[in-house]
Amino acid sequence: MPVHLVSRRPSPTTASFTVSNASRHISTPAKLFFYFQFLLRGIVFAGVLSFHAARFRHVFFSQDSFVPWSTVWSSSLGVSLCRIADTTNFAVAALASVLVLYGVFLKGYTEESLLVIRGLGIQTSTSSPTYLFKAATRFIPTTEIQDIVIHEAFKGFEVRFYLAVVVVGEPEVVVVFPKLLPNRAKLEEVWRGSRHCLYDSKP
Amino acid sequence: MPYNIAMVSDFFFPQPGGVESHIYQLSTKLIDRGHKVIIITHAYKGRTGVRYLTNGLKVYHVPFLVIYRETTMPTVFSFFPIFRNIVIREQIQIVHGHQSLSSFCHEAILHARTMGLRTVFTDHSLFGFADAGSILTNKLLKFTLSDVDHVICVSHTCKENTVLRASLDPLMVSVIPNAVVAENFRPLHATNRTNDRSGATPQIQPTPRPIGPNDIITIVVISRLFYNKGTDLLIAAIPRILASHPNVRFIIAGSGPKAIDLEQMLERNVLQDKVEMIGAIRHEEVRDVMVRGHIYLHPSLTEAFGTVIVEAASCGLYVVCTRVGGIPEVLPQHMTTFAKPEEDDIVLATSKAISALRSNKVRTERFHDQVKVMYSWTDVARRTERVYKGISGDISPQEFYGYYPGEIQEAGSDRIRNFSLIDRLKRYYGCGVWAGKLFCLCVVIDFLLYTFLEMWFPRANIDIARSWPKKLNEANNSKPERERLGSTS
Repeated sequence: MPVHLVSRRPSPTTASFTVSNASRHISTPAKLFFYFQFLLRGIVFAGVLSFHAARFRHVFFSQDSFVPWSTVWSSSLGVSLCRIADTTNFAVAALASVLVLYGVFLKGYTEESLLVIRGLGIQTSTSSPTYLFKAATRFIPTTEIQDIVIHEAFKGFEVRFYLAVVVVGEPEVVVVFPKLLPNRAKLEEVWRGSRHCLYDSKP
Repeated sequence: MPYNIAMVSDFFFPQPGGVESHIYQLSTKLIDRGHKVIIITHAYKGRTGVRYLTNGLKVYHVPFLVIYRETTMPTVFSFFPIFRNIVIREQIQIVHGHQSLSSFCHEAILHARTMGLRTVFTDHSLFGFADAGSILTNKLLKFTLSDVDHVICVSHTCKENTVLRASLDPLMVSVIPNAVVAENFRPLHATNRTNDRSGATPQIQPTPRPIGPNDIITIVVISRLFYNKGTDLLIAAIPRILASHPNVRFIIAGSGPKAIDLEQMLERNVLQDKVEMIGAIRHEEVRDVMVRGHIYLHPSLTEAFGTVIVEAASCGLYVVCTRVGGIPEVLPQHMTTFAKPEEDDIVLATSKAISALRSNKVRTERFHDQVKVMYSWTDVARRTERVYKGISGDISPQEFYGYYPGEIQEAGSDRIRNFSLIDRLKRYYGCGVWAGKLFCLCVVIDFLLYTFLEMWFPRANIDIARSWPKKLNEANNSKPERERLGSTS
């Protein structure tokens, strides 16, 4: 998936750079598909939940509380659901539903960002792979930033460029976009922009 | 026309040594001539990743398994993906491998030919033909060199050796000697560097006192104490030399497996007060040890070039050495006394050298300036550049290889190695009955691997690295510029 960079500069002292490998949904069908897949995720999620509800209907969902369970289970959809739930092997079904639930919450893309605020510091963030967790962030105050550099390193069978922040007192540098590792042109744009924002230096 | 050159070898800094400093010096001088040079070597302890040295020399320390004496595991193909990536991102045109024992270098040459790049190989050492290890190495060398574009040897003896070992066309082998940085090897009584630079005002320098008949003469030996460096000869010769010349002292620097034999000899003959052993020294300290002596003794049994004797002569030492390998080519007659590699002759030659010094027949104080004129890395770089031009077709084959009217046309046309697979296979097939087929198999697999890599890691996805910014005055390779460069070093 192609990585793209979005840089925003709401004020001269603030800059935010976001790289992402998500598709950008420019055309109308792409947008429609994007919302459709949310709908699909919802349906699948509801399906898995109702499957397990049907499996445990005698334990938890037998009394009529504010939901009339007995009418739900005796409806035509409820009867077929109960039949499927009772006939399938539970171990297989449990494993499959865990995988499906993970798939429902899986984002399918990675988004990494760098937020630079002059006089305050910079914050790097890497999105989590699922919708369940927040992005992992790291804030580095200006006083601890020694330098921001672009360098190369071996990764797998390749040599890749990376943007790194040298932090005072730490033996290892903080890599800014560690998962996506965008190409040199993008890194140079981020490097120029962030240095300009931090130090007001002419690039 | 500037080239993008990749120097590939297992041997590079931080490990000290002759090949390592050769690669470094040559690369720096080539950069001065406007080329772009990178070095590919394996990762050393504490030295990994991508590094820059002085003058924008980029070094890739590829993480790789090291098996024996800093040589990597010969895996033939596993180096290819990372090598291809580096070559593409640095836009390399010429791959220059160094040293026959480096598996990195052989693999790089094979892969570079598969990728359609020009290749040069520099041989720094001599090998035998008889023992099993040599036969294996020679076969491997033949494999790599069947398809190399040009070979550089450090001396004519080395060239002869390589031509025989790899069955090469002698015209494809050039001889470019090593050089020394003469400024780092100045005699004790030389003027300091700043005075020397001005040149116009000759300083009154304190001339060394001539050696009297009873003055102590110090003989320096700096070598790794291995069998092939002639340590056994040294062990046999030292007591005899000291017996016949009471006013002689020895300084021996270096370490190795023969050090224990040497120490035993000293104890047996009670020579500890006349022979000083100072153990292994760093390359920067070599000069400081050398200037303590008057004669440099080099009893090596095999030597492709012998940079150390040039360094010794540059320090103003009279050189006694064995007439082996490329050594006789290195220094002019008046700086050296030659000996056969046997005990009696070494004793005789050393005695001759001592008496020559005592009678003030040798003007050792002039050696430094003479060596400075003879050996310079700038000159080495210029000659290497000519090789690059020759293989890239920037100078005509007639000019590069020489024009021989009686020559058969086919022999001449074969020197320019084309990249088509079938022609490459033909060259490899001639390597031997079984070896030829095996080598062809390797080449075919390498080619398939290359096409696979082109699909799996497309060229378009590889970032092109930025070149080190060139200095403006050195970008133009005009004639006065060349002369200025040539005169300063």
